[in-house]
Amino acid sequence: MRVVKILGPGCANCRKLEAVAREAIAAAGVQAEVLKVKDMAAIMAYELTSTPGLVVDERLVCSGRIPTIAEVRGWLGS
Amino acid sequence: MDQLLRVLQAGAGNLAAYLAGHVLLCLLPAFFIAGAMTALIPRSSVTRWLGRDAPARVSYPAAALAGSLIAVCSCTIVPLFAGIHRKGAGLGPAICFLFFAPAGNVMALAYTGSILGPGFAVARLILCLCFGVGIGLLMATIFRHDDAPVSAAVNPLASDEARMDAASLGLLLALLALLVAGTLRLWPLTATLFAADLPVPGALAWQTTLLAWVPFDAASGEEGVSVQGSVLIALMVLLGISAWRGLEGIIEGANIWTRVALVLACLTLLFATLRLEPHAAGLRVVFTGRTVAIALAAWAVWRSGRCLSPEQSRSWLWEAWRFMKQIFPLLVAGVFVVGMARTLIRPEWIEAMSGSNTLSANAIAVGFGVFMYFPTLVEVPVARMFLDLGMHPGPLLAYLMADPELSLQSMLMVAAVIGRRKTAAYVGLVAVFSVCAGLLYGAWIDMAL
Repeated sequence: MRVVKILGPGCANCRKLEAVAREAIAAAGVQAEVLKVKDMAAIMAYELTSTPGLVVDERLVCSGRIPTIAEVRGWLGS
Repeated sequence: MDQLLRVLQAGAGNLAAYLAGHVLLCLLPAFFIAGAMTALIPRSSVTRWLGRDAPARVSYPAAALAGSLIAVCSCTIVPLFAGIHRKGAGLGPAICFLFFAPAGNVMALAYTGSILGPGFAVARLILCLCFGVGIGLLMATIFRHDDAPVSAAVNPLASDEARMDAASLGLLLALLALLVAGTLRLWPLTATLFAADLPVPGALAWQTTLLAWVPFDAASGEEGVSVQGSVLIALMVLLGISAWRGLEGIIEGANIWTRVALVLACLTLLFATLRLEPHAAGLRVVFTGRTVAIALAAWAVWRSGRCLSPEQSRSWLWEAWRFMKQIFPLLVAGVFVVGMARTLIRPEWIEAMSGSNTLSANAIAVGFGVFMYFPTLVEVPVARMFLDLGMHPGPLLAYLMADPELSLQSMLMVAAVIGRRKTAAYVGLVAVFSVCAGLLYGAWIDMAL
């Protein structure tokens, strides 16, 4: 079971990222759990420059922008 | 019942005044500028100057520049603040950035200039600079014995050494030209070029109906809705609908609605530059110098937008749309409420509390800014209301400085990064500096008069 984390304090970009991530997971057909990390200290632990951040299995794959569904599928696949 | 209707009409009147030409010409380009800055300026191109070895004369201006160009909303500001702090530049430049970003960013300054006049915008910019650096230096001195844990092994801000390319720069300049063309109140922009008479029947009757719904009351500053205003409102509703359809999914790709939305945005801006005068026979449409300027600037934006890569333009439009979704509805609601509040608040109360440039007046203004939470940019229409009700420009500036800095939400996030003691010190310093800023500006205004 993959663990996908959305890092962000809860603004529009973080919500959009979550929607994109969920669509990608559904399209790829993988088993994945989506967690939202809103606590600033926890977010800082991943060392990103700006939110939103996308973490797949504890690896920061994307930060500061919204990826396409195709990109997220790529990260889920690898 | 009558009183309630009167209050609602006041709210609507205030809103209509805001949706009228000059504010639209400022806000619409400003959203696109903010979007372009967020999407196209790589964080590292400014934050690389904030390293451990950077001297203070480089890192503080760089922090202020970052605040002005990169950050508009607190979800960008606080993570960047934390990153700058950890990178080793230390507490000082990070605090300078934190102070500068909410009030000194391009969007806030443009909006302040549009609603309150260029005097306040320039004052806000200069004082933000001075006090951002000042508070940063003070905090760095007070807390110099606390070693900031610097993660030497990982240097995240250096990892993407991207440069800003020519296309992005071209787009930003074109957008800034669009903003200036829309807001600068100088000849030849204000000159009348030529007038055309359109035989629109019922134009005068429509104006009369509008005035009946939302009365024009010069004494309290309610502008009523003009024929042009009603068309602009209709255009903006259409723009909202097409933008929702065309920009909500822009990351995946553009569709026909994207094009419709962008064309409508240009048309709305152009329409806002006209002057419409209804008379008995029809409608007199006056083209101004600003119409030409906007047309040229919009063409420049269109051309430079085409030079961007697909990812860049999608990212830009998404960020612009994101800001619109986030800020505009709150602004509309805020302006409506401010319009209603304006009829209920007696000018005498405002004048008694802050009509002159005294220490207590400034302190009250800062206190109000600290305790009342307004969403981003809404502090500007609130300030306008206070100005119209008789608040002295000094306390008004104090309020403008304090309000965007000290929202409870962002302070909680900052406390998570630097701890409660330092955050409390920051809040205290911002309050003191805001009062001083207000006293200084107020004294300067009093001397100039």
